[in-house]
Amino acid sequence: MGQLFLIAVRNLVSHRRRTLMLGGAISGVTMLLVILLGLLNGIRSTILESATTLMTGHVNVGGFFKVTAGQSAPVVTHYQKVLEVVRANVPELDYVTERGRGWAKVVSETGSMQAGLSGIDIRNEPGFRHVVQVKQGSLDALNEPGTILIFEDQARRLGVRVGDVVTLSAYTLRGTANTVDVRVVAVARNVGLLSIFNAYVPAATLRALYALNEGSTGALLLYLKDIRDVPTVEARLREVLASAGFQIMDKDPRAFFQKFEVVNRQGWTGQKLDVTNWEDEVAFIQWTLTAVTWLSYVLIGILLIIIAVGIMNTLWIAIRERTREIGTLRAIGMQRTGVLAMFLVEAFSLSFAAALFGAALGLLACAAVNAAHLHAPLSVQLFLMREELHFAVRPSVLVGSILLITGCTTAISLIPSFLAARLQPVTAMHRVG
Amino acid sequence: MKTSLVLTLGLLLASSVLAAPLADQGAVLQVLKTIDYRQHNSGDYKSLAYLEQKEKDKTDIAREALIYRRDDDEKLMILFTKPKGEAGKGYIRLDKNLWSYDPGTGKWDRRTERERIAGTDSRRADFDQSKLVEEYDATAKGEGKLGQFDVWELELHVKPNTDVAFPVVKLWVDEASGNVLKRQEFALSGRLMRTLYYPRWQKLYSESKKAEVWYPGEIRIYDEVEKENSTIVVLKSVDLRPLEANIFTKAWLEAKSR
Repeated sequence: MGQLFLIAVRNLVSHRRRTLMLGGAISGVTMLLVILLGLLNGIRSTILESATTLMTGHVNVGGFFKVTAGQSAPVVTHYQKVLEVVRANVPELDYVTERGRGWAKVVSETGSMQAGLSGIDIRNEPGFRHVVQVKQGSLDALNEPGTILIFEDQARRLGVRVGDVVTLSAYTLRGTANTVDVRVVAVARNVGLLSIFNAYVPAATLRALYALNEGSTGALLLYLKDIRDVPTVEARLREVLASAGFQIMDKDPRAFFQKFEVVNRQGWTGQKLDVTNWEDEVAFIQWTLTAVTWLSYVLIGILLIIIAVGIMNTLWIAIRERTREIGTLRAIGMQRTGVLAMFLVEAFSLSFAAALFGAALGLLACAAVNAAHLHAPLSVQLFLMREELHFAVRPSVLVGSILLITGCTTAISLIPSFLAARLQPVTAMHRVG
Repeated sequence: MKTSLVLTLGLLLASSVLAAPLADQGAVLQVLKTIDYRQHNSGDYKSLAYLEQKEKDKTDIAREALIYRRDDDEKLMILFTKPKGEAGKGYIRLDKNLWSYDPGTGKWDRRTERERIAGTDSRRADFDQSKLVEEYDATAKGEGKLGQFDVWELELHVKPNTDVAFPVVKLWVDEASGNVLKRQEFALSGRLMRTLYYPRWQKLYSESKKAEVWYPGEIRIYDEVEKENSTIVVLKSVDLRPLEANIFTKAWLEAKSR
């Protein structure tokens, strides 16, 4: 084996130009694969971190309250009773927060926008401070009633700064117009799609806007010690809440605001609870992740085909050039498997070295972009869920990429290697040119 | 004979209240009753409406719609005919539910009765019969001048357990004609939300009511939260002849949308 490896290396070195071209192509594809997978992992981890802090828990107990059949609101009444059932039946619980949910028009002196309002109690939101980076003002000021946190782009659109007052205008559960004047106390950095339509007010302010009592909230956001427990906890909660006498909505894996149309069409009135998980609540952005994943696979597939054709061609040329050498080797006793192994080792050595180099380059490129804090274009920010490009390259991804590229290129070299091994020694030795 | 006697008495009572100071609560109530009665038609109602919507930083949008009413059955239907993109869209009120129809998707959506119509500053109530007596308690806030008109100023508060979009309304009623000239609507918080002006009132004799039905020829609606937004509604070609019996159905609106 050592001899075969030596022959392979010497052969690669002697055909430096060909080796560099093919090795460069393999390195390029590996680098691209590492970068793409790093980007995908970056988006996925950002979604998990941002979305599960800003708009959903790992598991949520939300629901709708309907005064009339056609008028629903994302409200959970008597949420303390629901909370008791949750605490008694979810030992996996790390912590739980209650969030008001609403949709209102935010109006300033110079502009207006529609926004999804979350009513939060900032003292009970430990994860919030990690995700939301305040650019102006202070998160603690959100403790005071009549305040609001908005994001940079929203502040720009409304033409407001910290200290300015904006009006929230919405309709109560009974359809009565109501307004609340709130003071901007914090302007946070954008977090992609979520910062376009989300704004945060104290829970009491949201209740005042919707004329709700103290016992009402939008949803209970449950954060578990281990996110892998989500399916078990979700299924258990459905059962225990139903046995506790609560009406539970059928499973609909979509964000709560996508369900209004369906809920308004149903004839029931009163309260129904909806148990969802974080993936349901971010389903509207999951498609982007799926699209990027598939696009990457297609791109990598095409590149792999190109590399495969290149490898096959190169090996064909090598075999043609070394036909007499193969004949001689066969004549002095090398078995067909030996010839096969010789070409395979050569292809493997080239692929592995090139893939290793490409992966290292990819890793360096990702690290450089992360360190440079490069701002992504606005349209890209929507999908990245953050302002900056962020790559998350895991060791498993790195090893996987090297193995995939090396495996594919070695496998493809089986065909020409096998054909070389089938050459008759006499025919091979008489071959001219 | 009996009907015309009641109507005559009603009108006599109404005219005795008009052009006089509002001495007591009874007189205030009578003003509201007169406003409601004048706009009510016991038969059917059809009109052509033009809605011109102005919004900040947006191009003005003009819409044309047909309004159908059957007041005694509390039926209302709005069918948009122009512009092309809006044609076929419509609203219908069935048993206290307001449904909207979009021919693009072929879907019906249940909406709140207090929702904006087609995204403009107008609401269902602006096109419907007046129900001030049923929905509000009124108090007189004195007399004043609105331009060259002598007016009564009334403040209306929603009755308990009644669902309305605006719990407080202020009315400026022309002392001479009894018509509403200006209306201001306030949110639960007390903030002024909309101001409406009724510069032109028109009347038409109704065979079914055996009396005249009044309708505003024009309504100017100003959004008081987003100050630069406004909507002008012009009502034309009012027709009080009976409509087809089965007109207030989803099927009819769908058929007209095709």
